Amino acid sequence: MFQATNVSGGYQPRSNVLRGISLALERGSVTAMMGRNGMGKSTLMRAIAGHLPHVVGSIRLQDQELLGRPAYRVAQSGVGYVPQGREIFGDFSVEENLMMGVLGKPALPRVLPDWAWSTFPVLRERRRQRAGTMSGGQQQQLAIMRALVGRPQLLLLDEPSEGIQPSIVMEIGATIRRLALEQGLAVLLVEQNLELVCTMASRCLFIENGAVVDEAETAGLSQETPVVRRYLSA
Amino acid sequence: MFAAALPLLLDSVSFFLVLLLVVLGLLVIFGLMNVINMAHGEFFLIGAYTAVAATHAGLSFWWAFILAPCVLAVIGWIVELAVVRFVYSRFIDSILATWGLSLILKQLIVVIFGPTSQSVANPLESTVQIVGTTYPAYRLFIMGASIVLTAGTFLLLYRSHLGLTIRGVIANRAMAASLGVNTRRLDVGTFMAGAALAGFAGAAMAPLMSVDPQMGTGFLIPSFLSILVGGTTSFIGVVVGAALISGGTTGLSALRDPVFAQIVVFSLAIVIIRLFPSGLFGKR
Repeated sequence: MFQATNVSGGYQPRSNVLRGISLALERGSVTAMMGRNGMGKSTLMRAIAGHLPHVVGSIRLQDQELLGRPAYRVAQSGVGYVPQGREIFGDFSVEENLMMGVLGKPALPRVLPDWAWSTFPVLRERRRQRAGTMSGGQQQQLAIMRALVGRPQLLLLDEPSEGIQPSIVMEIGATIRRLALEQGLAVLLVEQNLELVCTMASRCLFIENGAVVDEAETAGLSQETPVVRRYLSA
Repeated sequence: MFAAALPLLLDSVSFFLVLLLVVLGLLVIFGLMNVINMAHGEFFLIGAYTAVAATHAGLSFWWAFILAPCVLAVIGWIVELAVVRFVYSRFIDSILATWGLSLILKQLIVVIFGPTSQSVANPLESTVQIVGTTYPAYRLFIMGASIVLTAGTFLLLYRSHLGLTIRGVIANRAMAASLGVNTRRLDVGTFMAGAALAGFAGAAMAPLMSVDPQMGTGFLIPSFLSILVGGTTSFIGVVVGAALISGGTTGLSALRDPVFAQIVVFSLAIVIIRLFPSGLFGKR
């Protein structure tokens, strides 16, 4: 359903943070990318979302070529992006943040669906609250739901556990896994937290120097597994 | 005493309201594109000359209120595509580029209409009695029209989905794009609307002042001062900023003379900016 083929590029012309990354994602599945810092995971996310200025290769979602499209067209084509640091609109209310998720999609009605409020109940409770005053975990749930109300086919989640209480992280992870199955969503996850990766994802890709160097089923992965030791430990 | 002060108060208010139209366009363009539009005064100027051209062509003056915003929307569209989009988020470059543009537009007006001042006949000669003073009906009309346009701009920005989208792009352009917002189209539309507001203000002021190629600058400077005093982050801030600048200028002009008024208002503005670098209502 989603296919990235031989994607190379970076922030400068001819720079190569990404060196020929290829990966394929299926509907309803959560795939994680792990690797040390600076190996190109977030850069790949930016490349898919249309925010990386210099990219070559091919990025296809349901037979549409995304590469070369401006970020807003990538989003309208069905890519939901939850960037590192969440990037919520801090001065907007929770409801206004979620509205931003549907207003950019000409095909969607300009109202929020009920499941936007029922999936993460804390958002309903804080509907009118200024989003910037919420806790990290609440903001993360908001950022995820803001992407989901735009009805994406591919959800990009960049470091969702960053700066959030562990118990909430696992809860969010389980919810995403369930939503992916229910909505037939493909999820690409960048994450450092191995426990979250094992809860959420079925497959894990290991990234080194801008390329996929190995992959493994998440079942049975632990800090002691050889691939994890090779690609993650410092 | 009150009867003597009332016309002065009304003059201040009408200047304030028209100034506000110019300021609003300038501010939204700055907020959205990070472009300081030095040519905004010339948009006002072209609005006034549209009124001159319309009346010379034999049209009723009232047509200017429709023609000027339309002309300026088209000019705004051309300027955005030809100049402004190349200097987005390049603060200094945007000042230089739009300043150059303002010189070109001003000279074009001189070439077409000549350097001397023109006048537009007052379309509403009648006066209105307000608590014992007679006041020109036309000034009351433009006050009403400006209030309607300002309120409309406020409602559009703070009570509509389009306004939410615009404020979202102002807050975080990249994220708004990743939610599907076509930021380019929004930029062009906003620039056109800002230019149209300035054009309306120019047409509205044409019968009240001598229409000459320098009148744009005369409106641009108080507009900038209003924004600097009020701050760039809030609607209320610029309203208060424009009220202080216009009230101060009109009041002091009546007390002594316009030159004295400008010196005092500019000096006070500098003091306020020194004490509140991001404006009276600015954040941080």
